[in-house]
Amino acid sequence: MMRYAIGDALPPFVIESVSPEAMKDWAVFLADPNPIHLNVEVVKAKGLGDRVINQGPINVAYMMNMLMAAFPGGRIESMDSRFLDNVFGGDRVVASGTITAVEDGRVACEFTLAADGRGPVNSGTATIAI
Amino acid sequence: MTDTDTLPPAPDVAGTSLDGTRVFTISAEENAALCRSTGVEPAADGSAHPIYYYIATQVAMGKTVAGVCDTCAFDVEDGPMMGSSGVRFDAPLKVGESYKVTGEILSLVRKRSRKLGVMDVLTYRLRLHTLDGAKVLETDNIWVLPRKELA
Repeated sequence: MMRYAIGDALPPFVIESVSPEAMKDWAVFLADPNPIHLNVEVVKAKGLGDRVINQGPINVAYMMNMLMAAFPGGRIESMDSRFLDNVFGGDRVVASGTITAVEDGRVACEFTLAADGRGPVNSGTATIAI
Repeated sequence: MTDTDTLPPAPDVAGTSLDGTRVFTISAEENAALCRSTGVEPAADGSAHPIYYYIATQVAMGKTVAGVCDTCAFDVEDGPMMGSSGVRFDAPLKVGESYKVTGEILSLVRKRSRKLGVMDVLTYRLRLHTLDGAKVLETDNIWVLPRKELA
């Protein structure tokens, strides 16, 4: 069994380029065809930027992937995520975190998702049963 | 007197039911596609990606996002924004399992924001159950509804 300690850094999970094609798939998964995720002209018209905007839950999934890779065989018991900024198509994003508590077969951590050049776009905390 | 005393109150929507009527089934095919779209392979043990906590509850709740906004007297075209999302799992989500949703709006609070002007902060809670009624998870989502007309 792996040993964990407060302050341990969790291995980062990297998406080299956020995919606009994946956003089209997620519009189906979420049954939500909001055009800011699908049509860059709509994003421009709304003054939100010049690239399509990733659906928020995809960003949460990236952070979950980081947690699941960091704790093989573990199970996410609880997780809270805050949405700080948009992630855009083509962004390179990195999920990373730190262990904040280890107790009774559980590990608590805090983490962020950061976009290159813009800093944290999501942050959160989670408890993992290990 | 607070600075929100001069604003009309937010609609009284706390307690509005979001119980769903449809069943949400996590298919192996969709789970695999979803996992790969986020840069990982699907689990070999039959568990679904945990982000289905959000997808299943959102898709199978009793109102669409637009419908929830409408309940709050907010036009979805005005751009609701996700503020935060929290989940507490009682059990893992499974591929091939079917689920149903119960839930309700917890609050709608009008505030002033330096960045957004006047906004309503919507909090709603959804629970995912197996078809025999066992609760699998509970999630609280917070959305920010910018009230441009009151800014």
